[in-house]
Amino acid sequence: MIQMKHVFKIYPNQISALSDITIEISPGEFAYIFGPSGSGKTTLLRILFCEERPTRGEVIINGIEVTRKGFNAIHQVRRTMGVVFQEFKLLRDRTVEENIAFVLEVTGHSRREVRARVMEILEWVGLPERKDDPMYALSAGEQQRVAIARALVNDPPLLLADEPTGNLDVQMTMDVMKIFMDLHKRGTTVLFATHQEHLVRRYPFRVISLGETTGSGKTKDEEVAEA
Amino acid sequence: MAFLRYVMIRALQNMRGNLFPNLGTIGIITITALIFSSFSLIAFNLVSFLRIWEDKIEVIAYLKKGTPAAEVEDVLGRARTLEGVESVRYFSPSDAMAFMEAKLGGQKNLLEGIQAGVLPGSLEIQLKREYRNSTRVREVALRLKQIPQFEEIQSGLEWVETFSTLVSIFQVTCWILGALLLTAMIFIISNTLQLTISSRREEIEIMQIVGASPPYIRVPFYVEGMIQGLLGAGLAIGSLFLLQRMIILYLPSSIQVWLTRVPILFLPPEMIGGILGGGMVLGFFGSFIASMRLLKYSW
Repeated sequence: MIQMKHVFKIYPNQISALSDITIEISPGEFAYIFGPSGSGKTTLLRILFCEERPTRGEVIINGIEVTRKGFNAIHQVRRTMGVVFQEFKLLRDRTVEENIAFVLEVTGHSRREVRARVMEILEWVGLPERKDDPMYALSAGEQQRVAIARALVNDPPLLLADEPTGNLDVQMTMDVMKIFMDLHKRGTTVLFATHQEHLVRRYPFRVISLGETTGSGKTKDEEVAEA
Repeated sequence: MAFLRYVMIRALQNMRGNLFPNLGTIGIITITALIFSSFSLIAFNLVSFLRIWEDKIEVIAYLKKGTPAAEVEDVLGRARTLEGVESVRYFSPSDAMAFMEAKLGGQKNLLEGIQAGVLPGSLEIQLKREYRNSTRVREVALRLKQIPQFEEIQSGLEWVETFSTLVSIFQVTCWILGALLLTAMIFIISNTLQLTISSRREEIEIMQIVGASPPYIRVPFYVEGMIQGLLGAGLAIGSLFLLQRMIILYLPSSIQVWLTRVPILFLPPEMIGGILGGGMVLGFFGSFIASMRLLKYSW
């Protein structure tokens, strides 16, 4: 599903965000990108969803070497993945339904398809009764569930999550993690960036550790944490 | 079809969302396009006036004093057979005197005591349509000069040529001014579009994340620029039309009488189409520049 080979990311000010990263994620796998703030988790995910180009190295997603693709082609790659952010990145002036429908409208689905699929995904994340509510009326946990629903509404085989529970309290974190676990059971590949060690212990999956400080680039790839 | 519908809805939503900057931009485009189209209208009317003037070009050949009547008939015949001549009319010295008296009207007593023979006889030579331009008129005048009975050949060509040069200078000035104004228009549109794009930055970022194609994101902004350009140019043409009507309406009656002989025209459909199309093209370029600056992909 994902292959990163000897990936480096060095910013113009010579700060090294990633150094010689080599990882492979199989289809249907759940893996943590684990490390403290500034260790390069977000940079790694940004490279995977083609937001940033690596300085060196190869990135292969679903058999496509994305670093060789121009910006006119990357939207096709992005349609094969869902992305969830710590800060949700939802449109605050729109309703729950509109936020989720946005993805399907952008990718050219019919109005009927959009309505049916949005209701289906809202049922799945447990928010069907909130579909007409504006985003500001929702709690942080509910907003994150909407963000997950948006990431999954076009049924992508890969989900990238950047600290999705970073802003949530314990109960909300558990609710959100339950969704991720269900998703994993359904066969979606999940790459979950976090610095929260208790999550890694409670939901034990493969852990890809990034270095402790920016630019150290030390990876403990293939480290598997068994609780 | 669905894409076009989306693009139109989206462009109009963007405009409504940034109503005041958009209205301001359309207003500035209107003023800019109005200045340009006013100059174009003046140039168009001057050219039209020049055409009318050129159309009325005729050659007057003055006979030498004392040319016998028998020779006049011969000269008339020779003039009629010249290439490019449509018709020839003879004005005897007494005809010339009668013409002068008619021209002077109430002041014809100024001519008292002047003998009709003082004025020379002349031939008024109408040229064929294709000969009513500076080159061909000169050709005919040269041939007429070869007839020894003629004292002087006048065509009024010098005036037409001077006027034509002035019109050309005005036209060039008009194009230079137009180029400057239209460049300004591109930057004005570009700035408003940058404002629109900035206000929608969050949404655009999410669109990019969820896999919207570059045309899906950019085309509505291009259309928005084109609508601004079209509306601005359209309003300018509408305002120019009203302005022209009002000016004609409020002109002093003496000038209005003169205008019945020299019609004041409005811009022809092809020029109106050109200005509207130009507005759209400039709008497109303005939005294109804005999107190039702000809708960059970091990839």
